[in-house]
Amino acid sequence: MNFIYLDHNATTPIFPETQKFMGAHLDIFGNPSSIHWAGRKSKALIRESRISIAQFLKVSPLEIIFSSGASEASNTVIKTTFLHSLKKHFMCSTVEHPSVIKTMQYIQSLGAKVDFIPVSREGLIDLEFYKKNLTTETALVSVMLANNETGSLFPIQEMAQMAHAKGALFHTDAVQALGKHVFSLIELGVDYASFSAHKFYAMKGSGILYSKKGAPQISLIHGGAQERHRRGGTENLLGLASFGEVARQVIEKGGIDFIQKKSEEIKILRDHLENRILKEISHVKLTASENPRLTNTSSLILDQVDGETLLMNLDIKGYAVSTGAACSSGNPEPSPVLLAMGLTREEAQTSLRISLGWENSLKEVDQFIDDLKISVQKIRDIANSPYKFDLKLMSPVGEV
Amino acid sequence: MQKASETVQKFQDQFGRKPRALVAMSGGVDSSAAASLLVDQGYDVVGATMQVWDYSQCDVTEGNGTCCSSLDVDDARSVADHLGIPFYVLNCEAKFKHAVIEPFLKAYLEGQTPLPCVNCNTYLKFDHLIRKMKELECDYLATGHYAQILAGHDGRPAIFTSTDDWKDQTYFLFTIDPEVVPKLLFPIGHMKKPDVRIYCEEKGLVTAKKKDSTGICFVGDMGYGKFIESQVSPEILKAKSGLIKRYPSGLVMGPHTGIHHFTIGQGKGLGLTHHEKLFVLKVDLQDNTVWVGDEEYLYSKDVEVIEPQFLSTVEDGEVLGVKIRYQQKSSQAQVHRTATGLRLEFLEKQRAVTPGQAAVFYREKQLVGGGWITL
Repeated sequence: MNFIYLDHNATTPIFPETQKFMGAHLDIFGNPSSIHWAGRKSKALIRESRISIAQFLKVSPLEIIFSSGASEASNTVIKTTFLHSLKKHFMCSTVEHPSVIKTMQYIQSLGAKVDFIPVSREGLIDLEFYKKNLTTETALVSVMLANNETGSLFPIQEMAQMAHAKGALFHTDAVQALGKHVFSLIELGVDYASFSAHKFYAMKGSGILYSKKGAPQISLIHGGAQERHRRGGTENLLGLASFGEVARQVIEKGGIDFIQKKSEEIKILRDHLENRILKEISHVKLTASENPRLTNTSSLILDQVDGETLLMNLDIKGYAVSTGAACSSGNPEPSPVLLAMGLTREEAQTSLRISLGWENSLKEVDQFIDDLKISVQKIRDIANSPYKFDLKLMSPVGEV
Repeated sequence: MQKASETVQKFQDQFGRKPRALVAMSGGVDSSAAASLLVDQGYDVVGATMQVWDYSQCDVTEGNGTCCSSLDVDDARSVADHLGIPFYVLNCEAKFKHAVIEPFLKAYLEGQTPLPCVNCNTYLKFDHLIRKMKELECDYLATGHYAQILAGHDGRPAIFTSTDDWKDQTYFLFTIDPEVVPKLLFPIGHMKKPDVRIYCEEKGLVTAKKKDSTGICFVGDMGYGKFIESQVSPEILKAKSGLIKRYPSGLVMGPHTGIHHFTIGQGKGLGLTHHEKLFVLKVDLQDNTVWVGDEEYLYSKDVEVIEPQFLSTVEDGEVLGVKIRYQQKSSQAQVHRTATGLRLEFLEKQRAVTPGQAAVFYREKQLVGGGWITL
């Protein structure tokens, strides 16, 4: 079978050049904190990795704190700010990743006041709400740079300036933007940003917290002196090395220009995909496609097509796509992001997310649409046949 | 096995591709074997587990021997991985609750002894999964039931009993829509249980040594009484308490805490100290009286059946083999149509005819229909 991967917002395949690099470094094992030759080799890998990533992001290596991934980075910022700030008001959008939303709900349960900024189904964040609720009592605002489900891009630069004007810190979960969208941390002006290696063609289990020079820095994980006392625990050596290696490869290929080029190429594929789907499949709507969004993401509502069923049907044919955030697949609840954006349960349950990546080709996209048409038709044919026992006809609460 | 591979070859010659089968995998030994056998035979196999009951409510240690725990889902998944087939968990909790659990509780509170596995087959396995089969563009639905699909007298595929008389599960299959039968595969129906285990061991499937599932999957080791008490409010249960009376004298033997603790023919756990062996004969819903008495009163020749369903044409007055409970030999009975369903006239008296259980009809080894026993 021909396997085609169209789920790059869930994770990305490891960059081929990086795979080679990893293979050549499997024998490096020393504890990076050790003084001896074995430790030195490891420490060198980590140092080079940090320098490459800093170069690519155009920030100082000192501003990069390695972590186990973006979830840890976001947890660190929110929880330590709550613990140490005298101000107890927090804000984030309603469409954040669970690592932000759930952490905000957690500190809320511990006494923080949290306001959730609405996002419309067109993918626009409610700046009026933000302006109205942002006060000098606000400790931290956390808004993602790009949304994982719809690709919607939010005006982080403007929002960070507004936060700073009130004396609040600003964090952005920039996971989905890395490698897909051209941005500058300096221009965005954020205090903190979270990134994951595995969404950037590197290995799972490592990531970074960008912490701007001067922003408060408190460790969430206490332990050894790693990361200049900002994150305890022996480093995920090879994971971090793979992250650094992808950054190095990208710099070699032109850095930001390479990302720009990739993003434009992918936009051509994505637009082709959406045009063909809208033309060749009936009763399809695009979600949040009219406003700024990542060039790789397409979020579709396919009337009468259960997303999970469609996903399985396509999987059997060799296609990897998504109905929502990967973490919630296998869970029957529709995507909380889409629900928060005002889609009905029915719309969210019939949503499909296609997210393209660096390695996809026009041929793959065309082949996918050819098969998608068949799958959608098959499922729609069955959708109208009655169940023997239709839950929709049942009273919501049983008799007993 | 040779024969089935020929079936695959024939399909391939006709359609230019392999037949694709969706296999319902519970994580038990039987459905694991079913999936593996189909892979052996050359089918394109897709595995699926229906998650039917919130396993967070179950004690994890109960995992072995019931089909409701996440450990069973893990086992099904590891068998699927071992076989190299796609595997999905289908969430069916809401449907299972409405179609299986609620009727089960309701029946107990109405003095019946329900048979939830039939509802699960009717509304989940052979309705919901049939739909999934079509949606996933599969040609067949396979399960690990001990039953066989063979040519009936008219040459069309029909359901027949398993070669393992003791494990035969056709008793639970009488509600299957006859239209669906040609789409079904029961890959282990021609095997005996010990051979199924040997096969799984040879194939190195993790489920080979797993305990047989006994009883009702969602009840587990808890027991019916406790399960019902965990699901129904104490007020409702209290309203189901009453007296135990001796039949036919009407002598009060003592109080009971709820009719859901009793089933027809039950001789143990009656809470009575009596020198004779007494059995539950009848539950009277008017005042929740549980009638107990001598075993001789348990026998009857006539049985009323409602909601009959047929997989094959049955003549009015035809004598068929009838099973009135699982793992019992069939007995001959004449089947008559009535205004409300059917009346079965058994040639020999039957012990403990139990409302809520099924009466299932056979013409020799072929399953031809069934219905629900009523008072």
